[in-house]
Amino acid sequence: MTVGLNAFILVAGLLFAVGLLGVLLRQNTLVIYMSLELMLNAVNLALVAFSRYNGTMDGNLFVFFIITVAAAEVAVGLAIIVALFRRRQSVMVDQLNALSR
Amino acid sequence: MTATQILLAALLTPLLSAALIACFLRRRGVLASLLSVAAAAGICAFAFMAIRSADGETIRAAAEWLTFGNFTVSMGFLFDSVAATMLTMVAFVGFLIHVFSVGYMAEDKARGRFFGGLSIFMFSMVGIILADNLIMIFVFWELVGFSSYMLIGHYLDTNEAAAASKKAFIVNRIGDLGFLVGIVYAYWHFGTTNLEAMSSAVAINPGLINAAIAALLMCGFIGKSAQFPLHVWLPDAMAGPTPVSALIHAATMVAAGVYFLIRIAFLFPESVLGGIAILGTSVAVYAGFCAYGQNDIKKILAYSTLSQLGYMSAAFGLGFPGIALFHLITHAFFKALLFLGAGSIIHGCHHEQDIFKMGGIFKKMPITSITFVIGVLALCGVYGLSGFYSKDAILIAAGLDGKWLFMLLTGGAFLTAGYMGRLVWIVFFGAPKSEAASHAHESGVAMLLPLIVLAVLSVIGGWLNVWPEYLAQFIQQSKEALHHVEGYDAMHHTVLIWGSAAWIVGLAGSLFFYGLGAKTDRLEQVAKPVYTFLNARLWFDEIYGFYVAKVQQRLAVLLSFLDVFLIKGIFVRGSAGLVGLLGMCSRSLHVGNLHGYVYWFLAGFLLLWALAAGVL
Repeated sequence: MTVGLNAFILVAGLLFAVGLLGVLLRQNTLVIYMSLELMLNAVNLALVAFSRYNGTMDGNLFVFFIITVAAAEVAVGLAIIVALFRRRQSVMVDQLNALSR
Repeated sequence: MTATQILLAALLTPLLSAALIACFLRRRGVLASLLSVAAAAGICAFAFMAIRSADGETIRAAAEWLTFGNFTVSMGFLFDSVAATMLTMVAFVGFLIHVFSVGYMAEDKARGRFFGGLSIFMFSMVGIILADNLIMIFVFWELVGFSSYMLIGHYLDTNEAAAASKKAFIVNRIGDLGFLVGIVYAYWHFGTTNLEAMSSAVAINPGLINAAIAALLMCGFIGKSAQFPLHVWLPDAMAGPTPVSALIHAATMVAAGVYFLIRIAFLFPESVLGGIAILGTSVAVYAGFCAYGQNDIKKILAYSTLSQLGYMSAAFGLGFPGIALFHLITHAFFKALLFLGAGSIIHGCHHEQDIFKMGGIFKKMPITSITFVIGVLALCGVYGLSGFYSKDAILIAAGLDGKWLFMLLTGGAFLTAGYMGRLVWIVFFGAPKSEAASHAHESGVAMLLPLIVLAVLSVIGGWLNVWPEYLAQFIQQSKEALHHVEGYDAMHHTVLIWGSAAWIVGLAGSLFFYGLGAKTDRLEQVAKPVYTFLNARLWFDEIYGFYVAKVQQRLAVLLSFLDVFLIKGIFVRGSAGLVGLLGMCSRSLHVGNLHGYVYWFLAGFLLLWALAAGVL
């Protein structure tokens, strides 16, 4: 049995929607961060699926770059969150509102 | 020392004195006055040394001061016979007035400021005398204007002095605007502002003489020498201390205008000279009339100064700059004497200046009175005294030129004798008419000595034969030129008769009319309208007041409205407000909440997508 492209796109779309809703609705910075990663991976999935379907390596190539950049970004992002927690004793978004005048 | 170094020393000595006073001696009046007097004596000494070392030659020296591209401003000396004559007079009269000031200002609290001002004035005045180009003259010209402003306003807590100093400064600025434009024009026309370079250019090609340049440069003279229509500041300038009136507003600074004309005489075409002659003559007569309407002893002398400046410019306009210089020098002697005498009287009468409150001064202050009367006789042109020789020459020049100027200037001589007679008869004779006058006392030695020296100079100052040859050279040239005009001998006799008639009739007439030691002005009682007319001085101050308050002020209000409404309101505030509004709008987007930014991001993304997809 082969899984069709539509199924991949559906899963990728669902993953993306879950990630987006997570970014929009959750308060914890760590969870928001995870949701962001989820969205990235949804895109990765879609790209790989397209690549497979088209029979070219373009999509796969993109995915490698995205994974690499995401890895670096995670390192920086987590470091920022740790530093933020050390300073503010909190990672909740509703308490990180120093810019609201 | 070379001649140039001596001149430099003469220029810088008073500046040094002023700087020392300004920095260290502001509260030490005695030291300041001694230093200032020493500086004035230094100028005298250096002036004599410079004349000795010049030995009849012209000294030239110049150094570059500023360079803009190919335009160079230099500072230099041009020390010729004219400059030597003027420098000697300024140094000597200045020194005497400094000495007088020591006595006159003995009780003043701000003596440091006063003597510092005198020193800075001497510096600026020597600068004008020695300057070899128009720009340097202009720099020192403004400096004398500043020191005049500072010294007129010496009694700065009185409104009169504060207003008078501002008036003098502003009125002079009007003349100086013309002067400045004239300098620029002259530079454009000749490619230089150096006096000698311009003079030789004109000598080679007389077609270079330009009436516009001459007329513009003349504006500076009109302002500084208080000629019509900028004469209004001089009478008001009498609000300053009397030695200042003597030094700046009678003997030297106002005469600097005439000196300036003499220095640039080669630039003047016939037409402008004729204008100056008419201008000078009208001022001479006008000021003579005005003096009858004044009761303040200093203001009478101020109008007399105006009138004599008119004689000088008439002499210049008639084409005899040497005679103008001659009258300038003799006038400096006797007018300084008269002002210092007036100062001595005012000092003796406890600062009473109204002549109708004096009276009987002759008995109380004999030396002051005798010297003052000598000054009056010299001013009136009594035969043998200094004023006679110079005024005589001016009248001859006028007589040889035409009927009208001669009649007017001779009339001016009658007027001069009349108002000076009025002053003498009322102030010195009769009984004291006020408490202050009855307690008048003779002044101290520091004040009497300058009076005596100036009285001697007022007598002998006109005897050109006893002058050093180098100093008299330029004046003699003009006199020679006058001698060779056709009809000189006949005119000489006419002038001798009319000139003598003028002082005899003037003095006797005023004695007959006003009487000895009159208590009130008889002219005011006999012919009130005439007196009011003379007192109003042709309403010049009122006309200017009207112009400034009604015409200029309204224009200024209009411009100010445009400035406030259009430029400030719409352009400046408007653009600032616009940017501020934009800032406020964009600031409201920053809610400070992470989720808010995400929504904005989404909105922006949707917008971009819509644009890219062609939905919008």
